[in-house]
Amino acid sequence: MILRFWKPISEASMPLLKAEGVSAGYGDMEILHDVHLSVEAGEIVSLIGPNGAGKSTLMKTIFGLLHPKSGTITYRDQPIHGRKPHEIVGLGMCYVPQVANVFVTLTVEENLDMGGYLLNEREIPKRRERVYALFPKLYERRRQRTGKMSGGERQMVAMGSALMLDPDLLLLDEPSAGLSPKLVDEIFDNIRRINAAGLAVLMVEQNARKSLQMASRGYVLANGENRYDGTGQELLDDPDVARLYLGG
Amino acid sequence: MPDNQPHQSQPQLPADERRLGERVRGVIRTRGFLMATLVAILVAMYLAGLATGASAQRLLALTAWGLMLGGIIALGSIGLTLIYGVMKFPNFSHGALVTLGAYVAYTLIPLLPTGEVLRPLSFGYEFLIALVLAMPVVGVVAMAIDRVVYRRLRNTGAHLVLFAMASLAMAFFVQSMIYLIWGPDFHFYYPGRPNPALYLPFGIRVRADQLFILLLALVLVAMMYVLLEWTRMGKAMRATADNPHLAQIRGINTERVIAWTWVLGGGLAAAGGIMYGLSSQLRPEMGFWLLLPMFAATIMGGIGNPYGALSAALMIGIAHQVSTSFLDPTYGPAVAFVLMVVTLLIRPQGLLGRTER
Repeated sequence: MILRFWKPISEASMPLLKAEGVSAGYGDMEILHDVHLSVEAGEIVSLIGPNGAGKSTLMKTIFGLLHPKSGTITYRDQPIHGRKPHEIVGLGMCYVPQVANVFVTLTVEENLDMGGYLLNEREIPKRRERVYALFPKLYERRRQRTGKMSGGERQMVAMGSALMLDPDLLLLDEPSAGLSPKLVDEIFDNIRRINAAGLAVLMVEQNARKSLQMASRGYVLANGENRYDGTGQELLDDPDVARLYLGG
Repeated sequence: MPDNQPHQSQPQLPADERRLGERVRGVIRTRGFLMATLVAILVAMYLAGLATGASAQRLLALTAWGLMLGGIIALGSIGLTLIYGVMKFPNFSHGALVTLGAYVAYTLIPLLPTGEVLRPLSFGYEFLIALVLAMPVVGVVAMAIDRVVYRRLRNTGAHLVLFAMASLAMAFFVQSMIYLIWGPDFHFYYPGRPNPALYLPFGIRVRADQLFILLLALVLVAMMYVLLEWTRMGKAMRATADNPHLAQIRGINTERVIAWTWVLGGGLAAAGGIMYGLSSQLRPEMGFWLLLPMFAATIMGGIGNPYGALSAALMIGIAHQVSTSFLDPTYGPAVAFVLMVVTLLIRPQGLLGRTER
């Protein structure tokens, strides 16, 4: 069942998200050097690369948790670098961090409510119903504290919370990290369903091969720099990419 | 080969014992065991009181006074635990906010038209209005201090020790201001006004003011509960306390949540101070001495948990008062520490603290 409750794809060729010449890091330590990336409406874009390549740092920089030292990041042609996360989230882009991505002391329902924090309060129950329709398991456990739930269920809560604002672009940082193979398939399935409903997805994934298979385009990041980019298939077929980043 | 079996079972014995030891430690660390120990300490205090010749009526009256004192401590420690939960630093200036609340009400009362005394209470409507006005005043002062001091520290990503030190400095600052404005003398809200004790069933004698204090504490705590559980800002507060980064990612303006936390914590502290001033008298260092039982209640209840702080504060209040039946009252403050140390030894995360994160 696919729910078409996200906005229809319009202005298809204009990039939703565009990062150019981004350099960023923690304190004096620069991790990203002159990185570029773009995501167009309705796309799945996969960001891969070895550990420490700066993938998560790029995600945090895009979402305003880190501020770039130089470069520009625009969302729908609007500059967002230097803005705070709570301002960026209102523009239609939501982010699911890799770890600590649910409020463990809050119930499932309260987590979803916090996902819809910026909404009019009357709108929240309707959005919640949509998320429950997408993840029926969450409805069964809506009164449970997420701290007591499994990794796969928490990932669902995290994704569900991010969908509450009806975003056009979802940023997923390692959605399958630490999950069993069966659950990994389920998570990827969910991502496909969400994307099929018109939502663009930018994801960082350890399962590089799997994520490139479903991605429209991909970027390979290494040592904080762009190495390769192309369509998912091109990257899968590239012998260098396969040897260096996809494990042979 | 068949000989192997008895051999195998023998080396397993120590392993079983170890598991037993672990199991015992597991039981000791549970909430239930801590609760039972604390209750046992309280019961021992009552027995000690009876053994040294205190009458049952006196112990009951002490319990009632203890509940009242506990209510005052609770108003302070709930704010303390909220501020700790959201900002993760111990606010040493909380006692000064308590004092400030008492003095702001003291200044407001003569400015308001004096109403008829609400017998059997010792005050008129003007006192209630002063209470309602002083709470937001102190809340705004607390928020202003945050703007000027702590927010700067937050923006520079300062270490938590620096926050604690800054709050200690603000404690001295606010207390000095109180000395400057109101002087070092004792004050009463209504000097010389009698407030005779009521005769309640079971021979308990309590003043009506004391019942009012307990009732007000309960009403404010109930309001806190509604706010934290059901309102948008309350949920945002809990979310920010849980995970401030994620709160921002979800669109919560954490600076606003922090501002409201100070308004709330300051307002509750002010209410506590006014109640404390009503039950005894106003002194510039009154809140400083409440700081000790307030912190004890915060830690005992599980830091960051308002309901834990409430139950611990009531327990501390009762223990403090009942201990005077067999101990010199000057040892009273030490009682809070005994309970806190016992809690830290048995279950460091406190009564309602979380075991897992």
